[in-house]
Amino acid sequence: MARGDAAAFDAVYTRVAAPVFGIVSRVVRDPAQSEEVTQEVLLEVWRTAARFDAARGSAMTWVMTMAHRRAVDRVRASAKQSERERRTAAAQIPFDEVAEAAEASLDRERVRRCLDSLTEIQRESVVLAYYRGYTYGEVASLLSVPAGTVKTRMRDALIRLRDCLGVAR
Amino acid sequence: MKLTGIRLHRTGREPHTLAGAYAMDALAEADRARFERHLAGCEACAQETAGLREAAAALGAAAAASPPPGLRQRVMAAAATTRQSGPASVRVRPRLRAVLAVGAAAAAGLVALAVVFGVANGSMRQQLNQAQASSQQIAAVLTARDATMMTRPVTGGGTATIVMSPSRHALVFTAAGLPALPPSRGYELWLIGPRGDRPAGTLPMHSGMTGPVIAAGLHHGDRLGLSAEPAVGAPRPTGPMILDLPL
Repeated sequence: MARGDAAAFDAVYTRVAAPVFGIVSRVVRDPAQSEEVTQEVLLEVWRTAARFDAARGSAMTWVMTMAHRRAVDRVRASAKQSERERRTAAAQIPFDEVAEAAEASLDRERVRRCLDSLTEIQRESVVLAYYRGYTYGEVASLLSVPAGTVKTRMRDALIRLRDCLGVAR
Repeated sequence: MKLTGIRLHRTGREPHTLAGAYAMDALAEADRARFERHLAGCEACAQETAGLREAAAALGAAAAASPPPGLRQRVMAAAATTRQSGPASVRVRPRLRAVLAVGAAAAAGLVALAVVFGVANGSMRQQLNQAQASSQQIAAVLTARDATMMTRPVTGGGTATIVMSPSRHALVFTAAGLPALPPSRGYELWLIGPRGDRPAGTLPMHSGMTGPVIAAGLHHGDRLGLSAEPAVGAPRPTGPMILDLPL
């Protein structure tokens, strides 16, 4: 690898490793698997950096989208053998997921505040889907709400979050 | 999961309402594929989805946690042996695509990413500017209507691939399998012809492959030469030509 690439990748690693590892371990839970998926994601960043297109969104979103997608794929692949385990765990969902992490940050505060502005069903849908990796159909049965309702609540919730967070677009 | 599929069919008239679930990866595989097909033909949905993705990514970033201490070294070591892909946006004929797959174009991507993240230093910025300028020129040659590809053996080992566009007066050169040189030496390209012998660039080496190099300012009657020279480059060829190709 050329020296310039290594330096650039090292700098990018410093910026994205904690967010990637954070979301992956939130979704995947198992520490060894979380580390494995994090490494896969970072290598995907290395491999496909030339495909990043700033016109289609921010660099952090590009990376986090890959991280979340891979984490969800992993957890669904291993879901079959541990389906019961997941259902049991889901029965006692801490809806205060975002507060779980130890270190405080401004971003975290902002996201927390915005999550608090959602209705209960919106917030539960987001937490179960995004932080736990459930499909909207699964979220519907966990919350005993029609799937169509969950689907529209998810969209409403993200629109509200987008506006609350002042995300571009 | 079956349940999800049935519901989607029932509400299939308004697939864009799935944008939220899609942005959070909350669609089962079949639904995801179906929604992506829908996205491809719905510019408004693509716009909305991009905005919702930004919001979802903020949820992700809020969960940041320190990765295990040994991870950086493991990732760097794995990257050193992992090949990078070229940009998807450059559309070239399949046979020419291989030319782009090496080195420079992909490297520009990572440096570009470092710049976007605001973590690039001055020399990375400079590298990006150079790489962007040269990858634009390279793309222009590779996508030219009159681009032709030639493959030639190099004396002493290795293969050179040349894509030339007479209308652009330029060619793109890559080589694989050239013998390794000591650090003080490097390969240099030459244009040799009625207009005199001109240096046409030194080859950046990545583990036996060279990144694509653009040689511009071709004139009728020029030949392309390659020789081993001091690593900094020489003003005129001093070593024997290991490639001498009429253009």
